[in-house]
Amino acid sequence: MNKATKEPIKNVKVWIILGVLFAMINPWYFPQSFEEILIYGIPLWAVVIIIASLLLSAYLSYVLKYHWVIEEEQEEAETKGEK
Amino acid sequence: MDMELAFSGWSGILILVIYGFIMLGVGIVTYLRNKGIHQSLEEYYLGGRGLGVMVLFFTFFATQYSGNTVVGYPPSAYRQGFEYLVSVPFFIMIIVAYLLFAPRLYSMGKKYKLVTPAQWFEKRFKSKAVTILASFLMLYGLGNYLLEQLVAIGQGVDGLTGGTVPYQVGVIFFVVIMIIYGWLGGMRSVAYTDTMQGIALLLGVFMLLIGSIVYFGGLPTSADYMQAYSPEKLGIPEGPGLVNWFGMLVLIGIGAAVYPHAIQRIFAAKSERALKQSFSRMAWMPFLTAGVVFIIGIIGINAYPDLSTGESEQLVGMMASAIANQNALFYWAMILLFGGVIAAIVSTADSVLLTFSSIVSNDLYGSYINPEASEQKKLLVGKLVGVAAVGILVWVAWYPPGTLYQIFVLKFELLIQIAPALILGLYWNRLHTKAVFAGMLTGTIAASVMTLAGISFLGLANGLWGLLLNLIICVVGSMVMSVSVMEEKEAKQVIGM
Repeated sequence: MNKATKEPIKNVKVWIILGVLFAMINPWYFPQSFEEILIYGIPLWAVVIIIASLLLSAYLSYVLKYHWVIEEEQEEAETKGEK
Repeated sequence: MDMELAFSGWSGILILVIYGFIMLGVGIVTYLRNKGIHQSLEEYYLGGRGLGVMVLFFTFFATQYSGNTVVGYPPSAYRQGFEYLVSVPFFIMIIVAYLLFAPRLYSMGKKYKLVTPAQWFEKRFKSKAVTILASFLMLYGLGNYLLEQLVAIGQGVDGLTGGTVPYQVGVIFFVVIMIIYGWLGGMRSVAYTDTMQGIALLLGVFMLLIGSIVYFGGLPTSADYMQAYSPEKLGIPEGPGLVNWFGMLVLIGIGAAVYPHAIQRIFAAKSERALKQSFSRMAWMPFLTAGVVFIIGIIGINAYPDLSTGESEQLVGMMASAIANQNALFYWAMILLFGGVIAAIVSTADSVLLTFSSIVSNDLYGSYINPEASEQKKLLVGKLVGVAAVGILVWVAWYPPGTLYQIFVLKFELLIQIAPALILGLYWNRLHTKAVFAGMLTGTIAASVMTLAGISFLGLANGLWGLLLNLIICVVGSMVMSVSVMEEKEAKQVIGM
């Protein structure tokens, strides 16, 4: 039974990707010109931060769904058993 | 400030009363349907571990997004400009922090039927000192948090009604309602009202956004203004601004994830799947909430230029009033928002109060003062102490401290100190109990002293320095003192994964 379990914290790949995304949501890598260019009233650097944030949310949804399986299978089996 | 206030009539008061009665109704219906819940800590504080995806999601949502997000964040965006965009990713960081511990903690909660976070400390470290220190930190942090919500209820009612309903009346009205429905239905009442309150808030905020864009001009108009008069508000955060950004992401990510009332919701989940799906939705919410209120604050820069810090705190009230004056649709939309903001504050406060009571019931009274007591008696003590605490806090709220932001940081600084024990304890069998206690205590003292004395290093929040110290002591202390083979084996058995 334990073979099937997946815990996100044990997955190094997940944390490398989260590390990269974390670096991207901090505004340390922008050239000065990025504050002068405005896209619909939003400075370019802020647009990039928003996109990086969206990527982070998307990746989190993916990890939650596919890389966290500890109790789920057993719980599903129990629910089916009850019915 | 001289302005016409749209909410000074009966409609504002009417909507407050309607919201209040709906909340009461939820409490009464929950009470009638679940009469057995007052005999069991699990039933009362965790809703019988039966919260499904939707209710669980909204109750997580309500613990993390408060009326403060709507009323307090736009003024910050107003003052700091785009640097305050950090409020969007920092809410996403909370979910990153959950990935560190929620999966395993859910399993532990299920295995040992845990009701409170401190109960896990008791199970893992078997140390009275650690459990009591952690409980006190949580109670103090929760108390501060509750105080902040009470102040916000008063300011919200007062600000959004343009002073028609005085601060004190607003606080008392909602506190009484909150205590009644919390008392009647426990976690179920709280979670169901959270759902209603969350929906009202989301609708209201969207209408405020639309109204702001229509009547004050959208982001491009505001950007033109900033370019001309305050270009620094469009600037890329540098130096201290960048450090502050980074600090906020870490502090709030970990801090808000280890909120005791947030941890408790992990235990209340019906299933792992429900918990995962709720988190997954939460990962997207920052764009719909923090992002939207950020835009409102930025629009405010153009709509109401040159406000002082004190005046800017009233920004949302001013904007909502002006929008409501335009036509009947916006008038009622702003009334809805007005109710939604207050409801959101109440929904955060009720979660905090419930967790506060549960720590008293289970960890202090139930574990140390009178372990022989029946669950019914433990519950009653928790409820009564909760009510007494609210009474004291309401008294303090009569004289609200400065701006909302400062008290916000103070509670994080203490609550975050339980993070090393919680997170390391789940994975590291060799974590030494004494090191945990020393780290938690030192971190708390360091963060508190720094805050009270007004010391700051490198622009990072004091809570982070305390946390760092705490973590170092936990890790180094555990290596130096080395746990006995017995203890390590025991820890391994407790975790069992």
